[in-house]
Amino acid sequence: MNLLLKHITLPLANFTLEVDAGIRSRVTAIFGPSGAGKTSLLDLIAGLRCAQSAFIQLDDRVLTDTAKGFFVPTHQRGIGYVPQDLALFPHLSVRQNLLYGCKSGGAADPLFSFDHVIEVLEIRSLIVRGVTELSGGEKQRVALARALLASPRLLLLDEPLASLDAPLKAKIIPYLTRIRDEFRIPMLCVTHDRFEALALADEIIVLVNGQVLQTGPVLDVFNRPANSDVAKIVSVETLQAGSIAGLNEGLATVKIRDVTLTALAPTTGAREVFVCIRGEDVILQRDAAVASSVRNRLSARIVALRTEGALVRVELDAGFPLFALITRPACIELALREGEPITALIKTPAIHLVPR
Amino acid sequence: MTSEEWQIVWFTAWVSALSTLVILPFGLALAWILARRDWLGKSIVETLVSLPLVMPPVATGLILLKLFGRRGAIGGFLHDQLNFDVIFTWRAVLLALSVMSLPLLIRSARVAFEEVNPRLEQIARTLGAGNWRVFFTITVPLAARGIVAGMILAFARALGEFGATIMVAGNIPGKTSTLSLTIFQDVQLGQDAHAFRLLGVSVVLAFAAVWFSEFLLRRRKK
Amino acid sequence: MIAVMGVWLLSLYSAYSTQITVFAAASLTDSLKEIAAAYEKQSGDKITFNLGASSTLARQIEEGAPADIFFSADEAKMDGLEKKGLIDTSTRKSRLGNSLVVVVAADSALQIQSASDLTNTSVIKIALADPKAVPAGVYAKAWLEKQQVWPAIEPKVVPTENVRAALAAVESENVEAGVVYKTDAGISRKVKVAYEVPAKDAPVISYPMAVARESKQPEAAKKFLNYLDSKEAGDIFKKFGFILRD
Repeated sequence: MNLLLKHITLPLANFTLEVDAGIRSRVTAIFGPSGAGKTSLLDLIAGLRCAQSAFIQLDDRVLTDTAKGFFVPTHQRGIGYVPQDLALFPHLSVRQNLLYGCKSGGAADPLFSFDHVIEVLEIRSLIVRGVTELSGGEKQRVALARALLASPRLLLLDEPLASLDAPLKAKIIPYLTRIRDEFRIPMLCVTHDRFEALALADEIIVLVNGQVLQTGPVLDVFNRPANSDVAKIVSVETLQAGSIAGLNEGLATVKIRDVTLTALAPTTGAREVFVCIRGEDVILQRDAAVASSVRNRLSARIVALRTEGALVRVELDAGFPLFALITRPACIELALREGEPITALIKTPAIHLVPR
Repeated sequence: MTSEEWQIVWFTAWVSALSTLVILPFGLALAWILARRDWLGKSIVETLVSLPLVMPPVATGLILLKLFGRRGAIGGFLHDQLNFDVIFTWRAVLLALSVMSLPLLIRSARVAFEEVNPRLEQIARTLGAGNWRVFFTITVPLAARGIVAGMILAFARALGEFGATIMVAGNIPGKTSTLSLTIFQDVQLGQDAHAFRLLGVSVVLAFAAVWFSEFLLRRRKK
Repeated sequence: MIAVMGVWLLSLYSAYSTQITVFAAASLTDSLKEIAAAYEKQSGDKITFNLGASSTLARQIEEGAPADIFFSADEAKMDGLEKKGLIDTSTRKSRLGNSLVVVVAADSALQIQSASDLTNTSVIKIALADPKAVPAGVYAKAWLEKQQVWPAIEPKVVPTENVRAALAAVESENVEAGVVYKTDAGISRKVKVAYEVPAKDAPVISYPMAVARESKQPEAAKKFLNYLDSKEAGDIFKKFGFILRD
């Protein structure tokens, strides 16, 4: 699919949303801190809001063109929307909610048939219930199903996991990936959680204070943030692909290349993961033999040192690229020098595993 | 109570009910626009809509008399082109009741509409529902209790209408005699017992209507 | 501040001069106002009026309204008050009479030559002062009953609160015709007389007047009542079209 967002200008409370971007991948995350204008952008795409200036085109259909005064009303856009508060209709049953967007002649595409959708999202048992009787996760799935049953050409999701607790998040992510894989609908997810972005998206648009700071494949943006603003938001210094070799009593053994790490076991059963380690969580130690509670002790070699204000960013080779952030006085005390060996300590809970 | 008295009660009840139905589409439309839209001069419209509530009813009746009389802007057209009279017929009663009770319906309905989460309407649109479908399947059902409470209040107001009615409809026995007009006339003629019987009926009707309206409003708060 | 002074001065004035309240039939409005103006100049007393349907006024007096003089448009209302002991019978006089006319709008093409013409389909609505109680309406109904057309006319009747309201209804063209006093037709330029009811067909119209027993200034009231009975007042009444009897 090809979603063109050009010349978008929308004054908001504290800043102006300005976007010029093309979105081509299957799942794109709009990523940024809360209040960056992400929801407003979704509203513009869905036609729920009008911008001062905007040109929005989905595939071969122009939806908004303020220059020509052209505007396709929301109900003709065929764009599904799952808002953050889900907006299930409280006066209708689950079944009535689901059927609300169904075209009267039955879905043209059997892919979007009622039975298929409720099977994929596993909500068959919920159909006869009232909306208020559902749990958080159940409501989420019903909202997703409702949007799908309208056979949308594009699906907009506003913070789909934000209001869920960690176990529930882990349970919903597979449904989202199922939607991506089974229904093959392009999805645009808004999130402020970098791990959500990692888990779901192919491409990412970093939006801060209404400005697009960087776009590109997720790994590229995370590994090579364009500037310090992006880096601060992304704030994952070490991001590597790994795989879980074993699970034991709530702990997982993860292998990155030839290096083995101990991390907390993820709640999903994924084997392939992204391993995320923040620079602040890496401790450098000269003496490897000192006993401590840390499970992960890696022999590493200092590749580069770079001063960033009061901190020093240390690039290490621990069998994979590893970054540490330490204070300048610490760096001087330890007399760190490029090329020298050093031990890197990483606490088990500091290692984030994100299913791939 | 004589059959003549029952006829008056029956007439009052059905004209009041009819007036409530007549103002419903117009009242809901206005209430929705006031709840959802903003424009230059909105406060003028809000004030105009509230006028019949605040002005002396006979003043409103006078305006209606001038407008709908045979020499009036609207009445003249109706009489000359369609041979249709309003003043001194039951249609004048309907007109007076409608105008006087409309502001009450609009007030209740507007508050009810404002309480409907606009996000729900927006999501309904993304699911392919056009404006009318959204209005009838989402907005109105969610605002239903407030709307019904407003209708009942309007009905109760219509039951008791006097000032505007006597201006435009007179008190023609069998044709435009309402409960309140008859009570007034009875007192003038010294027929107090008759007046008190009708007064009793009025109180019962008004009490029931208002009580039911409050009941619905209380249920809505839950 | 000035308003307070003004009100105080006015109250002083009325404390020194006598104020008489006259409850009078609506049809007497214009004539009485002229007569009162002349009297006020002569006597220094002040006359205020409560004008309306005699039936309404009688009811108000029954309920204790402060009237000094009651000037009714028919004997029945005066009789009613006399029975309740509310008037000074020694002051009761009846000298004024009137006649009934059928009026139509000034530019109307309607032709009324008799009572039965009112039953024509071209006459859709007829305004009468409420025939249940207001004298003008009671007289009109009596006339129409005597002409044996009342059952045909009754469904067309729009009863009004007093005879001037019936006149106004004809003026506004919301009714095709109305039955009012000849004296009422005389003061309005917006209506014309279509038919004058001959005296032999109509009931006797009589305007009794009396001083109320509960009057707070019976002497002043009697004085004005005598003036109403005088030649000066009589000339004014005749000017407006009333009939004077001895």
